[in-house]
Amino acid sequence: MSKKVIVPIGPQHPALKEPACFSLTLEGEKVLSAVVGVGYNHRGLEKSCESRSYIQSLYIIERVCGICSHSHSTCFLQCAEELAGVEITRRAAYIRVLMGELERLHSHLLWLGVAAHLIGFDTLFCYAWRDRELVLDLLADLGGNRVNYGINTPGGVRRDVTPEQIQDILSTMDILDKQLAYYVELALGDTVLAARLANVGKLSKEECIHFGAVGPTARAAEVNYDIRKVGPTAAYAEIPFNVITDTHADVFGRTVVRVLEMVESVKMVRYAVANMPDGDILVKFPRKVPAGEVVSRYEAPRGEDVHYVKANGSEHPERVRVRAPSEANWHGMAHMIEGDYLADAPLIIAAIDPCYSCTDRAFVLNNNNTGEQQVFDWKQLRQYSIDFYKKEHGFDASKIKIAEKKHF
Amino acid sequence: MTAAQTQEQIIAKYPSLEGKVHIASDLRVWVDALPASEFEDLLAYVHDEMKYDFFHLVIGLDSGENLEFVYILSQWEAPADNEVLLLLKQYAPKSNPVIKSVSDRYANATWHERELVDLLGAIVEDLPPGLSYPLPDGWPEGNYPLRKDWKVEFFDPLTLTYNPPAPAEEKPEEGGAK
Repeated sequence: MSKKVIVPIGPQHPALKEPACFSLTLEGEKVLSAVVGVGYNHRGLEKSCESRSYIQSLYIIERVCGICSHSHSTCFLQCAEELAGVEITRRAAYIRVLMGELERLHSHLLWLGVAAHLIGFDTLFCYAWRDRELVLDLLADLGGNRVNYGINTPGGVRRDVTPEQIQDILSTMDILDKQLAYYVELALGDTVLAARLANVGKLSKEECIHFGAVGPTARAAEVNYDIRKVGPTAAYAEIPFNVITDTHADVFGRTVVRVLEMVESVKMVRYAVANMPDGDILVKFPRKVPAGEVVSRYEAPRGEDVHYVKANGSEHPERVRVRAPSEANWHGMAHMIEGDYLADAPLIIAAIDPCYSCTDRAFVLNNNNTGEQQVFDWKQLRQYSIDFYKKEHGFDASKIKIAEKKHF
Repeated sequence: MTAAQTQEQIIAKYPSLEGKVHIASDLRVWVDALPASEFEDLLAYVHDEMKYDFFHLVIGLDSGENLEFVYILSQWEAPADNEVLLLLKQYAPKSNPVIKSVSDRYANATWHERELVDLLGAIVEDLPPGLSYPLPDGWPEGNYPLRKDWKVEFFDPLTLTYNPPAPAEEKPEEGGAK
């Protein structure tokens, strides 16, 4: 009889991208049981909203997640706007959808890269993250930042979309179409990828319902559940798309779902820019919100995002509760890991795409010698980088070709 | 099941809830807060008979004298484009904030209920054993950050101690009796 060994993974571990603790009991290489510990990153954001105005709370809520920031800010505003009796304009609703689908694209591309890296397929990792940069450039151009875009504001959106930006979006979608065709071919036809991902981290349809799994994790198990269909908000009811499901109920299925969802998102982005109504982007939002309570939902890239806001008639919310999709997907995690190999654990954990923060790009540099601040545009920043590496590391990066940035 | 059918069915079973079941929108039905003893029976009915069998989350609130708990439920077999959320509420006095775990019916409720324990000081009976969530080890007992009387400015995160100012001493009235 082999000896049982308990292996802790986390809260800080090279295989984890965020702090969580998995205590795995092994027999040989097989995981007999798993205990999942989370909560290392609880920041008390909900409490801090209670002493701030709605617009201040919006910027806190946007920082719940560095990847699906737009999902959280939209969901929070849906609550606040319903409480205040404010209906946003159709153009603002379309812009929210546009940002939401671009966010889904960059989130799924990020996930595809992480998953590829974890299985040693670093070529795919590089491709996916290269393509994600194109989407991040669009988001930075439309909102002002790469991850916390700040496009949303109570009563609508802060920035309109210009015809030039629409041309940029469409030309980027052309590039993504070609790349996505390759990813679809890989996901559906590559035998090595299928052999590595199939039957890893199984969670059946019944188990998804039992553990309350959401998003691509559930849809990969034939669960036809997408908030954009079951409770559409913004302009989702007007925009045609297919809910992608799969039957494999494992990491392979989750890969297929995310890749095919990106194809749908590209179609939705095209539809949104082609059918975007004219008009204002903002309506007046009151400083004080009438008393009441509202629950709103939004389909974030990882699944159902739920927000609850209770108003007390003042400028501050009485209570805010955020249930991010990862919070729903952790419940089935132990079950997904149990029975699999230890080496699969990082991949299974990554397959629900747990949230972690991205670092924003810096455009303002401090000169250590003079203390002066200098604002760099894109070309200056690139030149600074080339000079730095040439001087410090003897590496000349000037011949590397990268896409031109039109709006920085 | 539509919002109107949900409302009708609950009132038919519990006539005392007439006027306490509200349709807030096409896809939202709210039931006013019930004491824990009545809530348990209603929850069993909506789960077992009405098939509100999918649990989204439970939210805890400090409402002054009581703690309130909002349960968000839906039907798994609902139409794919018209899902109603049923929002049930129960309350328990802060002096004895005991509620019963719903994890026997909804397996994914446990972590949400652990949060009620840590952040609001609820006592959740029959909660399966497990790690606490989300406060760190060594968190001082009796400190419930989501209660309204708990102020973050009095908490020292380095020493994990809560240091509220001492209550002001009552000053004797100047001048005495006239």
